[in-house]
Amino acid sequence: MQETIFSLLDVERVYTLGATGWFHRETRQLKALDGVRLELKRGDTLALVGESGSGKSTLIRLMLGLEPASDGRVLYGQHDLAHLDAEARKRFAREVAFIYQNARGSMNPRMRIADILAEPIRLHRLCEEQAIPARVEALIARVGLPAGLLQRFPGELSGGQVRRIAIARALAAEPTVIMADESVAGLDVSVQAQVLNLLRDLCRESGITLVFITHDLGVASYLCEKIAVLYLGRIVEQGPTHDILSAPRHPYTKALLQAFPRFDAPLCASLKGEIPSPVNLPKGCRFAGRCAQVQPACLEVDPPLTLLTPERQVACLFPVVNPC
Amino acid sequence: MSHALDLSASIQASSWRRRFLQPLMRQRSAVVGLVIILAYVLAALFAPWLATHDPTAQDLGAALQGPSAAHWLGTDSFGQDLYSRLLYGAQLALIIGFASVALGLVVGVAIGLAAGLIGGRTEWVLMRIVDGLLAFPELILAMAFMAVLGLGTENLVYALALSFVGPFARMTRGDVLQVKSQPFIEAARLMGVPTLAIIWRHVLPNVVSPILVQAGMRVSIAILLESGLSFLGIGVVPPTPDWGLMIAEGRGFITIAPWISGVPGVALAILLVALNLLGDGLRDAFDPNTQKDA
Ligand SMILES: Nc1ncnc2c1ncn2[C@@H]1O[C@H](COP(=O)(O)OP(=O)(O)O)[C@@H](O)[C@H]1O
Ligand code: SF4
Ligand SMILES: [Mg+2]
Repeated sequence: MQETIFSLLDVERVYTLGATGWFHRETRQLKALDGVRLELKRGDTLALVGESGSGKSTLIRLMLGLEPASDGRVLYGQHDLAHLDAEARKRFAREVAFIYQNARGSMNPRMRIADILAEPIRLHRLCEEQAIPARVEALIARVGLPAGLLQRFPGELSGGQVRRIAIARALAAEPTVIMADESVAGLDVSVQAQVLNLLRDLCRESGITLVFITHDLGVASYLCEKIAVLYLGRIVEQGPTHDILSAPRHPYTKALLQAFPRFDAPLCASLKGEIPSPVNLPKGCRFAGRCAQVQPACLEVDPPLTLLTPERQVACLFPVVNPC
Repeated sequence: MSHALDLSASIQASSWRRRFLQPLMRQRSAVVGLVIILAYVLAALFAPWLATHDPTAQDLGAALQGPSAAHWLGTDSFGQDLYSRLLYGAQLALIIGFASVALGLVVGVAIGLAAGLIGGRTEWVLMRIVDGLLAFPELILAMAFMAVLGLGTENLVYALALSFVGPFARMTRGDVLQVKSQPFIEAARLMGVPTLAIIWRHVLPNVVSPILVQAGMRVSIAILLESGLSFLGIGVVPPTPDWGLMIAEGRGFITIAPWISGVPGVALAILLVALNLLGDGLRDAFDPNTQKDA
């Protein structure tokens, strides 16, 4: 039985918008996350997929404790993330590493790469001061970059190099969990493949638990054993990658797969319309407006994420039975 | 091992050159300004050896003389040697200029850092004080404080420094707030970097360069204000060799002995132009916020 690292219990995150002027006092509620249930076990590799604006970044920021949950609880092991004591917080900082979507912005532009990589090592006293340069060189070699870059500043590196430095920094603290937000989006295909291979090898060799955000199902299936599909702030389907890709149970997942061309599947009708705004969600299922098999009940009842089989969960009143 | 050290030292030196010297050297006018300022600094440093007379020695028998072998730039109405007074005047102008800016910078940056880093009520109180200081133009503020403190070189430094506290504080706070909202600060916090280390290692290095650029530009304002106040008779006390005072003293003789006002006037004008050239160059080279579109 694997140990559970993260549990999210009906987590909600509401942003209050509005109050734009002296006389405009009415505010609107934006539900970036709504009723998210998630369990992450040690050694899991989980991909969070969904369209832009579906709440992927918000979810990961909540799991990192960077933002509070408006409702529900985020547990790290047995402890509520919102009430960690100083000791536990320190352990969390060491065990969980985050790779920012904006890798360049997450590095101090006035620090050399060598110092950026040495910072977590020094901070957690992972080795003697004299051994740090060797360790930093090992790190940069591990992400496949030349040691010559160590004396450079982040602004002098290319986009792909900066992403790999960000990965190296995440590895520096020897974390057990790595979270990465769109770490390959916008990269050249070849660089993207290098970064993905690097992450995959890491997970295989060191048994690191990985949470990887992507809007690319191909990337998700290559890197991760599990997938959670987000739609408008809720996980609508979750389960083993292979099962989900071969037999999607949620109409949204099915539509995503159809929009994502595969040589062995016919291209059916893809998603119609745009993702609606998460402000003032309508009653009933949040996908009803775009669902191909919407029924009257869907407009009344908001389906929560429920177990379908021990491994799979889906948030739909009428799960797809025979995939196309 | 020592070879490796040499290598990394030379890499650091060359990158210092790349990051600091080269961008500045690319600014032609900044180099011209720098050269002129260096000349003034040398003149000020070596004034005791370069001067031909005691700058405050009066010789009424030799008053109002034009340039001659004995008095290279002539004499004023008290028979004081203008060349010697000019050299010591450079010393005074540079000392007052740099000292007042340095003092204003230290106090202003401290206030700005405290406001930006602590926030909340502390920030509110500090920024209301700063607003109060900024409500008056520098010259008026300095004049008011000279009136309170009394004449004299030291008081002039304090008055000018005070007039610079507001601008430095406001700018520092703005930069601190801007840097604090950057992802790398959050990333450091997430890694567990202690707050003081975040301030020291991540916030401060990212706010120093605009502050130093601003300080460079303020020096010329300080020297102009210093000369102006002395000219108006509320700065340093006569017979201190001060350019503002010298210009004021020459006013009455402008038709018969124009060099008395002219010599310090030209010296002041050239120094101010040079300081502004260097200040603009520093800004264009190092301050990304106000960088001109090239
Ligand atoms: N700080 C914030 N204030 C207001 N709305 C926000 C904030 N952060 C995110 N949102 C909103 O929450 C929703 C989810 O955003 P995000 O988590 O960034 O999605 P994703 O990463 O999947 O693209 C979006 O509609 C976004 O506009
Ligand atoms: S609940 Fe109804 S509308 Fe929602 S996804 Fe399922 S079938 Fe479609
Ligand atoms: Mg995002």
